[in-house]
Amino acid sequence: MNSDYDIIVIGGGPAGSTFARIAASEGQEVLVIDKRKEIGVPVRCGEGLGAREIIKQDLDIPRSAISADIRGAKVVGPDGQEIEWAEEGVTDGWVLERKVFDKWLCELAIDKGAEVRTYTRAIDLIKEEGKIAGVKVAQWGKDEHEIRAPLVVSAEGMEAKIAKKAGFNTVHRLYDVDTCYQYEMKHYDHDNLIELYFGNSLAPRGYVWIFPKADRRANVGIGIGGDLANADKHGIPGADPKVLLDRFIENHEQLKNSSTLDDFGGVISVGAPINEFVKDNFIVVGTAAKQVDPIHGGGIALAMEAGVLAANTALKAKEKGYTKESLLEYEEIWKQTAGKTVAKRLLLRKVMEKLTDDDLNHIFNNINHKELETIMSGNFAGPVAKVVAGRPQLLKVLSALTA
Amino acid sequence: MIKIRHEGCILCAGCASVCPVGALELVGNKIEYYPEKCIKCGTCVKVCPASVIRLEK
Repeated sequence: MNSDYDIIVIGGGPAGSTFARIAASEGQEVLVIDKRKEIGVPVRCGEGLGAREIIKQDLDIPRSAISADIRGAKVVGPDGQEIEWAEEGVTDGWVLERKVFDKWLCELAIDKGAEVRTYTRAIDLIKEEGKIAGVKVAQWGKDEHEIRAPLVVSAEGMEAKIAKKAGFNTVHRLYDVDTCYQYEMKHYDHDNLIELYFGNSLAPRGYVWIFPKADRRANVGIGIGGDLANADKHGIPGADPKVLLDRFIENHEQLKNSSTLDDFGGVISVGAPINEFVKDNFIVVGTAAKQVDPIHGGGIALAMEAGVLAANTALKAKEKGYTKESLLEYEEIWKQTAGKTVAKRLLLRKVMEKLTDDDLNHIFNNINHKELETIMSGNFAGPVAKVVAGRPQLLKVLSALTA
Repeated sequence: MIKIRHEGCILCAGCASVCPVGALELVGNKIEYYPEKCIKCGTCVKVCPASVIRLEK
């Protein structure tokens, strides 16, 4: 086969750029294509990132990509109960400027030798003798042509059209997504904490967030269960995320007087990852593989972690012709590491969505930040015992966590 | 058929990520709709956070 590159990466987000950086730094000829006109735009994200996650990669995020330093979180229950969890070295993080962050990550890949082409959309897979051999692309909305490489990496994000064409189950069920609306607002004076508000009437099967940014700005957003979304359309009952968000803002002491700078939104994967991440000559990485935290909807850290893992596997798999077998290491390690955390968060999500506001109030009244930390580390037994002691009827729902 | 009110669209492509048949796609700065693929299931209508998609008879 005559190849133009060793590897074609579809998508220049955190997963694709990370993969490309690692592969290019080891001398692979890597092409990253992105259908967007500009890397990092439009932003479809709350922009939060935990510091613990990125330190593993030994990357020094430039100050220009960080909007605000975060100390921790304030979690608020339906009756307004607040649990503040801020612990140095554990809950530190940032609210990013995603446009700057994504471009920086992509530039790192270019610095290592990767080539990047924007406004270049993958239309289809090329197959030769039944094997994936590259992609057909359209550049600037026209100029259709073929680009060949023995390995194609889907870092396509939520849409993941090419991964779907390759046979992966990348379509999302409504139950497995949150539909989100977000404003960037000003002014918002904050305490360097991200704020999360829970309640079934506030945000059914989701939450409202306030992520503080620089210059007295904040991302104020809502995510609700996709299967519960959107009322008054063809008699389908449900809730409109924007209407709920506007209601939250109207009732918020500070935000009701603030202006909006940007309207954005998106749909977040909060279900299980796809079953398989690799096949012959093809890898799926990041949100395209549904590698997203089902509790908070964060995808950046998982995408970057998987990008490193997949690239390291691909480097070794080159001499074996990128067979499925030679690429499996990435999938196996992921399932033994990040996959375990994601599975526990998914279990927690599925239990939480069964709770009424009375249940949530009881829980918020009976746990503190230490127990919140225990829960987020995946150790449910202690907090469950404490909560159930005062509200035995919760045992039935919460026992799923300790089974 | 679905109808997209493009002026209100925030280009999140959420509709495309839930469409079971690939009838929606973000191309450049616009959501493209391929009616020949559409099965009128209404999934995109429900998921759209900006409520700009309608199902038409």
